[in-house]
Amino acid sequence: MKTYEVFLKKSGKDPFTHAGSVDAPDDEMALTYAREAYGRRSEGDQMWVVFRGHVLVADEIELEMADRTHKHNDGQLVAELRRATSGNES
Amino acid sequence: MVPSQEAHKLVLSFADDELCVGQNHSWWIAIGPFLEEDLAFTSIAQDELGHARALYSLLSDDIDQLAYGRDHSEYRSAHITEFLCHDWSSALVRHVLHDMAEQVRWSALTNSSWTELGNTAQRALAEENFHLQHGLSLLRRLLSSDEGRKRLEPVVLELAPYGREYFADSDQELMDNGLLTVSMADQERIWVDQVLEVFDEFNITVDMSEETQGSGRSGIRSNDFATLHDEMTAVIQIDPHAQW
Repeated sequence: MKTYEVFLKKSGKDPFTHAGSVDAPDDEMALTYAREAYGRRSEGDQMWVVFRGHVLVADEIELEMADRTHKHNDGQLVAELRRATSGNES
Repeated sequence: MVPSQEAHKLVLSFADDELCVGQNHSWWIAIGPFLEEDLAFTSIAQDELGHARALYSLLSDDIDQLAYGRDHSEYRSAHITEFLCHDWSSALVRHVLHDMAEQVRWSALTNSSWTELGNTAQRALAEENFHLQHGLSLLRRLLSSDEGRKRLEPVVLELAPYGREYFADSDQELMDNGLLTVSMADQERIWVDQVLEVFDEFNITVDMSEETQGSGRSGIRSNDFATLHDEMTAVIQIDPHAQW
């Protein structure tokens, strides 16, 4: 048995999202099982089924290191500055 | 309105086949060979019960009475649909034989002069592609292994001839008034050819000439039917007015 990752997309602008995984002996059965496990109630109208071995997995350490405060600019400082400025004008 | 007595019999046969197969498939809920197959197989069971419901509703407003309230001799199910098949080999083989037959049978009804029946057939046929894809790919996969072949071949040889009973209804009047567009004899021929072809891929020669032992259409039930019927009527026997 091989493991496959299943992605579903609803109509419209929603992106594909991960629905779950299935075990199947081959690609054809993987599509069948994915449809039954995750799409039998029309949860989406498009489906991707990807063999897990084909998924590129990123380095977790690198991802943790990428979490730095200066990447998290939420515009707070600028917003305060603008509020202060517009307050002066009125 | 049911157009004729013959039409009533045809639809009742088909509905009873679907009811029995759906009920039998559902026996595997939670004990399927593995999780994914459990889900897929029992979802197909639900589809078959849905077909039964759609067909019964063409005949009567009281579907429960038709499905559960008749004497055993009033059912018209083909014996192959009644067999309990409590081992996976026979459950899988019966699933494939049944859905191959269903595809042929629905196809013969999609252009029926009975419009409601034709519409039901079109909806059901859309599901059949999936059922067949599921059954055939798993069957082929298993037949390709020594162990699978050892277990499946005897079951195929035993069950396949029973499938001829699917086509045992009389059809003269139904053909004359366009209710049925492919004769029972032609449907049977198509089904037999398709079954032989599938197993020929694996050098399994099925002897279809064997006289079918089933006589379900004439009211004689197989040995398994009583058990199956007890199971499917368990709830309604406790509470005849149960709603679900």
